Amino acid sequence: MSMLPQLLFTGIGIGSIYAMVSLGFVLLIRSANVVNFAQGEFSMLGAYLMLILLMSFHVPYFIALVVSVILMGVFGIVFGVITYWPLRTRGQIPVIISTIGAGILLENTVLATYGPSPQVLPGVFNASGVLVGNIFMDSQYLSIICTAFVLLALQYVIFEKTVVGKKIQATSQDRETAGLLGIPVVTLIFGIFFYSAALGGLAGILVAPILFVSVGIASVVALKAFAANIIGGFGSIPGAIIGGLLIGIVETLGAAYISVPYKDAYAFIMLIAVLLVRPQGLFGERVAEKA
Amino acid sequence: MLLEIKGLTARYNAGDVLKGIDLSVEEGEIVALIGSNGAGKSTTLRSISGLVANVSGSITFGGMPILGMKTGAIARLGLAHVPEGRRLFPGLTVRDNILLGASNRSGVSRSQMEREVDEVMDLFPNLKRLAGVYAWTLSGGEMQMVAVARGMMAKPKLLLLDEPSLGLAPMIVQQVFRIITEIRSRGATVLLVEQNANMALSVADRGYVLEAGTLLLSGKPEELWDNDHVRAAYLGGLAATA
Amino acid sequence: MMTAVSMRNRGLLYGGLGILVVIAIALVAPSHGYYLNIMMQAATYAIAVAGIVVVLGYCGQISLCQAAFLGMGAYCVAIGTVDYGLPFFVSLAIGVAVTGIGGTLLGLTTLRLGGHYIGMVTIGFQLIVTMVLTNWLGFTHGPDGISGIPRPSLAGMDLSGGAIYLGLCLLFLGAVTMFTVYLKMSRLGRAMQAVRDNDLAASTCGVNVFRTKVIAFAISAALGGLGGGLFAGAFSYISPDQFTFNDSVVLLTMALLGGVEYAFGALLGTILLVMLPEWLRFLRQAYLAVYGAAVIAIIVFLPRGMWGLLMDRYFKPRPMKAVEVAPLPLLARHGVPSEDVVLNIAKLAKHFGGLKAVDEVDMMVRRGSVHALIGPNGSGKTTILNVITGLYVTTAGKVEFLGKDITALPPHDRARLGMCRTYQNIRVFRGMTVLENVIVGAERGGNDVSGTDATLERALAALDFVGLRDVAHLPVGDLPYGHQRYVEIARALAGSPEILLLDEPGAGLNLTEKGEMAELLKRLQGHGMTIVIIDHDMKLIERVADHITVLNFGRRIADGDPKFALSHPEVIAAYLGEPHRDAA
Repeated sequence: MSMLPQLLFTGIGIGSIYAMVSLGFVLLIRSANVVNFAQGEFSMLGAYLMLILLMSFHVPYFIALVVSVILMGVFGIVFGVITYWPLRTRGQIPVIISTIGAGILLENTVLATYGPSPQVLPGVFNASGVLVGNIFMDSQYLSIICTAFVLLALQYVIFEKTVVGKKIQATSQDRETAGLLGIPVVTLIFGIFFYSAALGGLAGILVAPILFVSVGIASVVALKAFAANIIGGFGSIPGAIIGGLLIGIVETLGAAYISVPYKDAYAFIMLIAVLLVRPQGLFGERVAEKA
Repeated sequence: MLLEIKGLTARYNAGDVLKGIDLSVEEGEIVALIGSNGAGKSTTLRSISGLVANVSGSITFGGMPILGMKTGAIARLGLAHVPEGRRLFPGLTVRDNILLGASNRSGVSRSQMEREVDEVMDLFPNLKRLAGVYAWTLSGGEMQMVAVARGMMAKPKLLLLDEPSLGLAPMIVQQVFRIITEIRSRGATVLLVEQNANMALSVADRGYVLEAGTLLLSGKPEELWDNDHVRAAYLGGLAATA
Repeated sequence: MMTAVSMRNRGLLYGGLGILVVIAIALVAPSHGYYLNIMMQAATYAIAVAGIVVVLGYCGQISLCQAAFLGMGAYCVAIGTVDYGLPFFVSLAIGVAVTGIGGTLLGLTTLRLGGHYIGMVTIGFQLIVTMVLTNWLGFTHGPDGISGIPRPSLAGMDLSGGAIYLGLCLLFLGAVTMFTVYLKMSRLGRAMQAVRDNDLAASTCGVNVFRTKVIAFAISAALGGLGGGLFAGAFSYISPDQFTFNDSVVLLTMALLGGVEYAFGALLGTILLVMLPEWLRFLRQAYLAVYGAAVIAIIVFLPRGMWGLLMDRYFKPRPMKAVEVAPLPLLARHGVPSEDVVLNIAKLAKHFGGLKAVDEVDMMVRRGSVHALIGPNGSGKTTILNVITGLYVTTAGKVEFLGKDITALPPHDRARLGMCRTYQNIRVFRGMTVLENVIVGAERGGNDVSGTDATLERALAALDFVGLRDVAHLPVGDLPYGHQRYVEIARALAGSPEILLLDEPGAGLNLTEKGEMAELLKRLQGHGMTIVIIDHDMKLIERVADHITVLNFGRRIADGDPKFALSHPEVIAAYLGEPHRDAA
């Protein structure tokens, strides 16, 4: 049992990544009503961009980080223009399908260009970590946890407390009426696409030193993030965070104590369990349909 | 002339919904647009707000041509549109719904906005009581009142009201129409689309009758009351029962 | 729309043609080699894709694990024949059963929730199946897969020759396609489409929404299993990497490309996408990337698929031929007005959090009467209707219908007892024609008509009653707003209800149209229909109501005949605003 605190630390670290990706995902749902099945590809692309800047162009780490995150944001806008804009009036399922298509396109483009073999991406700090009590706190995990915490807090405040946040929510609930009121709908939606992709990219860059850079990063990260979202409550910001952390912890413990090959299955077993017991997720869904 | 429409034609995939209508609204007026279902009343308002893709003709607002402009840009010129079917944001509270009505105005501080929300809510009975409630839990009539209140937050030069009495109890209808005249007395101009032609004409300075996408006639309320066709078709043969 | 008889004839025609095509293809098919493989792949995939048509096209539920079911079917056949020595067809049957049951269980856990949940959960299921296939070495042989899967023989006849086995697959495919076509025109298929278009309205028409979704899901899974089992026999070797999430997307894309609402569209889409790798061979590795781009292009440019495009262009809906319908007595069971209490609600309460939307309301509706429910906005009228029809769960109190306590029944069971309603904001089934909408109403369980012809006649009679027969063939969305209200009423009437609940039938109608609505209500009253009506138009209410209940803030403030209720001082103060005039 002495492994437990160490495993919890690792679980929270990996869970923070899921929470970050999950948040980008929630934002797209809440602003544009887009359930983006290519959210994980944002992380994959972010990691590859970083890799290219570092290895091929020898850009210093932090500059490369900023540039990749911004480029990812721009990519997010392009992504929105292609997969969402033409379908914006056609409901949820067509957009889901087009984002699935985009995911396949991105994954296989990268695969065709860089091949399947995983690449190594350096971490944020050279130091390997610190020992606190008997827990070894890896520096990469620490950076992930801190980044995630700051971003999440910021986002929560913006979304729930400011007028801009309310405008975003209004846009998600009724785009046409939001436009009628003079809310700059298009700017807001693409702003969210920018932020969502940048966040996903950042998560990818942070997790890559742990998971290696490969095409597989996309589906691993995305599906856990989706599951986190449902476990926490669809469209709920605190739900996304708690759900992400929970999955990180459960799968780390599961891999340690139960079985490694099924590591990726625990999230979904948990997901189905939550759906059976509390289908609206831990934090519930706010808008119910009224007859 | 605050709003001037010339030769407005609108088409959806099925065919022409508006077949070249001319309409104008002077500053400070209440103008009613009446007609049966499918005559093109809502389409007229939606064309003014830039919500209809396939339109031609000309629309000027305060002397500025607005046809082809984006919906948001038109709103920021000082035009508020209270759409048919209430269209509140279901997952926001009543208070936040009304607050967002001011989205077309720039440079208003948050505290100023919150004050104005309180003022606007005072115009409606019982609205304050519902301030913290999610809009989806409201009844149809309550939603309508919040929608009108939200429109008023825009401090519009021109307020477009689409079927404000739809689904409202008689007493609330009277209240809504009182509020419409109240809005006018505060300097706004109103273009009103209504099924309830009696009520609409009773507050309007002028009225237009729209039938199958063309303007049948226009004039002062009295002139429309006196028209046999209008009375038979839209006023329910009121003369016989009143 | 045809009568049921001509539909059957047409079905025979299609079936006959289909068998001829199968024989022709089997005769000209090469007995081995690449093209034979392509054809077998297309035939077995198409069966699985038909499953997607059922679950997504008909029922509107997105499933992203069809390849998992395909895999499960394939592994049942492979393991059954190779490891346990079971006959091919027995293994195939096991595969269909396993996937059918699997689909049912998966559906039972998730289908109470919205579309995006099902998307996620099916992805999760897909991943778990892939993981199990890869890692459970003792049972599935792991990543190496299973080879040497035999083809069947039946009654001493060897069916293992390439062309013969292809013929067998095509026969199955033909049967599945016919089944899928017929399903759409069947009662179950209409229920699925009703659920897809508007699940609330479907439930109050007597459709068990949850069960319908689960059935759609189970059928879809079983078709996946059938396709998979035949796939295993076709290629004699299977491995886990043939049944991944990407393959699920490929199957979905086939359905979308062809047209997910159409059985023949699915067939077309499958054939095209099975051929596509052949045409895109020069792209090598980039093939899947192009595939992804194609998915986006299809969904953007071909919203209803290729078959949908063909239908729109060449098969415009035609006006109905005059069908002689004996004027079925629409409301035969209802006698003269009497003292029988049809609906009785006692101390009924419905709270939303702290808000008492309905607060201890009593109301008694007698047979053959028109009972109006009026009150200011927010007084709880629609909420009461929703509680009566079961859309809301009662907080306290009791609802009795025909002497039976129905407080705990779900909406579809209440509809089954004869409760039909309309909605304030119209809820019609937008993907269906006017007639189909009304047929869904006529198919209410517990209705006094049954059988295809009688149901059709009842639906037509209801359309005649509201005067919409001449637009019966049109998609309901093409009708103006006012007419959609009448479609809703016809849909309710076709179910020959014991009680008809109308939520603001006059809303959005002008005075002339309101007059027509009043006429219609008068005619219904003349037939002895028991009606509960909510409306704000006092003229309409005065013309039709026998009895009025007035609500304010969720409480009953007056109850009695119209004269009494409308002159009640509290009603005037709270609702009418001033002594009632005609012009109000």
